[in-house]
Amino acid sequence: MSIIYVLIPIAILFVLIGLAIFFWAVRSRQFDDLDKEGFSILFDEQNTPKRNSDNDKTPL
Amino acid sequence: MSDTRCFHCHEPVPAGFNFSLMFDGQQRVFCCAGCQAVADTIIASNLADYYRFRTEPANKAKALPEQLKAELSQFDAADVLTDVSRQLGDLTEIELSVSGISCAACAWLIEKQLRQLPSVHKVNVNSTTQRCHLSWDARQVPLSGILQKLADIGYQASPFVADQEEQRYKTELSRFLKRLAVSGIMTMQVMMLAVALYFGDYTGIEASHQGYLRWISMLLTLPVVLYAALPFVKSAWRGIKARQMNMDVPVSLAIYYTFFASAYATAFNTGEVYFESVCMFTFLLQLGKFFEYRARARARDATSNLLKIMPVSATLLKGQQQETVSAKRLRPGDIILVKPGETLAADGEVLLGSSSTDESMLTGEYRPIAKTVGDNVLAGTVNHDGLLQVQVTNALDNSRLGQIIQLQQRTLSQKPAVLEKTDKLARYFVERLLLIAAATFLLWYFWLDADRAFWVTLSVLVATCPCALSLAAPTAVTCALASLNRRGVLIKNSAALDLLPELSIVVFDKTGTLTEGRFSLQQCHLYTDTVSETEALNLIANLEAYSEHPISRAFSSYLAQKLPLEDVSITVGGGISARYQDKKLKVGSAAFCGLLQSDAMVNLTIDEQPIAAVNLQDALRPEVPELLATLRQQGYQLMMLTGDSSSQADALQQQLQFDQMIKGCSPEQKVAEITRLVEDGHKVMMLGDGINDSPAFHAAHVSVTLDSGSDLSKNQADVVLLQPNITLLHDLLHGSLAAKQVIKQNLRWSVGYNLLIIPLAVAGFVSPYIAVLGMSFSSLLVVSNSLRLLKK
Repeated sequence: MSIIYVLIPIAILFVLIGLAIFFWAVRSRQFDDLDKEGFSILFDEQNTPKRNSDNDKTPL
Repeated sequence: MSDTRCFHCHEPVPAGFNFSLMFDGQQRVFCCAGCQAVADTIIASNLADYYRFRTEPANKAKALPEQLKAELSQFDAADVLTDVSRQLGDLTEIELSVSGISCAACAWLIEKQLRQLPSVHKVNVNSTTQRCHLSWDARQVPLSGILQKLADIGYQASPFVADQEEQRYKTELSRFLKRLAVSGIMTMQVMMLAVALYFGDYTGIEASHQGYLRWISMLLTLPVVLYAALPFVKSAWRGIKARQMNMDVPVSLAIYYTFFASAYATAFNTGEVYFESVCMFTFLLQLGKFFEYRARARARDATSNLLKIMPVSATLLKGQQQETVSAKRLRPGDIILVKPGETLAADGEVLLGSSSTDESMLTGEYRPIAKTVGDNVLAGTVNHDGLLQVQVTNALDNSRLGQIIQLQQRTLSQKPAVLEKTDKLARYFVERLLLIAAATFLLWYFWLDADRAFWVTLSVLVATCPCALSLAAPTAVTCALASLNRRGVLIKNSAALDLLPELSIVVFDKTGTLTEGRFSLQQCHLYTDTVSETEALNLIANLEAYSEHPISRAFSSYLAQKLPLEDVSITVGGGISARYQDKKLKVGSAAFCGLLQSDAMVNLTIDEQPIAAVNLQDALRPEVPELLATLRQQGYQLMMLTGDSSSQADALQQQLQFDQMIKGCSPEQKVAEITRLVEDGHKVMMLGDGINDSPAFHAAHVSVTLDSGSDLSKNQADVVLLQPNITLLHDLLHGSLAAKQVIKQNLRWSVGYNLLIIPLAVAGFVSPYIAVLGMSFSSLLVVSNSLRLLKK
């Protein structure tokens, strides 16, 4: 069981990394608006102008 | 056609309108040219995903590009821009308050739209607070260009300056998040180790392993005790310094006592460790506080777009030259030019021109007031139809608007103080608890068993730790807030919940609160049979569509068919005339239409022949009489304080029979009247919507405003009704009673439990294990009892 002398410090290291990332996220205002982020996955990051402008946009 | 709805805003499409676009292979119809233009822009900019994924319809778009542009360019003047933004190197940073954001898709749409501009460096839209944080290069694109870009997709934005208090809220909120993360994540780790230690106790564990796990647990608990639990210690210390025991004293005592006892046990390898209890306790308390804080912060954000009412800029006249300047920099004696639709930037006297102004913001009176040379005009009022030259008599800060805001800040400190009951209880409880713990220690140390003294005292402290007691009220309040919020009642000040069940007087404002605050058709009289009522109203509506006057809005719903009008001309303070099928139409006041015996507000003539006379009225909200009847039945005294001095106030009094009614009240009189009631020992609720009510809000115990109210009143009120329906008042009162009930039950349980366990703990029958279990169980019970409020 002496493996825990190695594994637990490693686990703690991971926890500290996780906390650091969380602190960074809070500081860069990522928790200000939680509704918006849930939507971001629905929208294409890259616009596909070809497809949209050819098929969809035919104003009368 | 009546069930056809606009593709953009989902409002019904009026008959005879023909605006449409092809989108996704289908013909989509629109209610107006504005919505069509907006949708066209959105689709043309490849942002059509907005329509595919949005969850709420958009707001109706207003199409007035030219006029809008002129209005927007006021923000480009250098000193106006520096007043509302910050300069960071080449980039300008600004916070915009955007109206019309209804769901998260809007935020995405706005971000995408602005990122298409090459000069925009960073943009971040918050859909809950309806704010947009933007940094861009102002030399490439002026602010008006950005605002125009937003207007193209149907959002109206204006610069916003967050006040200091809000800034503090924000930093505090992120601190809360960090503390929560530290205590939460550490709790998980320590719990994990605690499981190993528990199993070790039963199945046997090597002493070296046990020591190791304990040391690790202590190490992991350190940040919780030293960082996450800090607010409790600070608050406890403040309490002790002020010689007022609060809940945080025993809480921090329990945290540190348990921690040091466990650390002692770890260092000397004796006794038990309770690191996981320390962490969990801190985490749970933090969680409760965080939820409460976030609810408050959100309520604040949503209602604090205060700066919008303060006029930003003015057109200064220097000889023949016009110059846009910041409204704050106007001095008495300056001459400013006020265009139709603009907000006046200072108090002053009209030098040239005639117009009518909307003073509803200050007086609650919606009827436009005619202004000609020599009349006084007030800052914050809106100029309706004429061009005015105004000599400034009072700068913005000393104007009537500025005075009302100052009056309001003065009354802020006069808020009737009510001690929170749980605080009183806690103080009483805490003092005795500490005495008992001290007595227990002495008793065991000197007389019974010196070795056990430390651990028995620990169990006393842990068992009686007022965890449940301190959760009793906050959890119930949080749940009540959430459930009321779902029903459309936003409570900004949770202390209001405490006070609501004790109310004795409800004070109402009239215009905009009891009434709808806008003109609607009361009566239409026809002079001839040649034209039907619908036709007459349609004619009037067609003409009125050209006017921005508040009266014209009353007719917009009567527009049945669009008619081709020619030679439309608007006469300030008179009416509108036009040609239709070679006949001369006139809509307006009796004098304008050349009628002698008509006292109606709006008249219609065709070729000088009188056709119709229409009377308009600010109508009573339909739900009011029933609401008042129920309130009266429940034993509340009702009172009306109104700034309106016309006969409508008396008519309303006749109809609704208030216990007391005072008309023609200035904001100061309203404050005085409510202060008098408070001094007489009444618990007063004030319900109002205008800026003129907001000073009175602080004088009353509880203040309620409507979502349609001015931003200033929403900012100041304790409660905001989010739907245009004042029967929500009933929900509010009911919800507060239910919350009070639950708080009482919670307090009874937690006090009862503590009274039961204290003698057992003092006698040494309760091992710290049992104490922790009992504490957790009673906290759980209290929390689940509070959760009942969320149902229904």
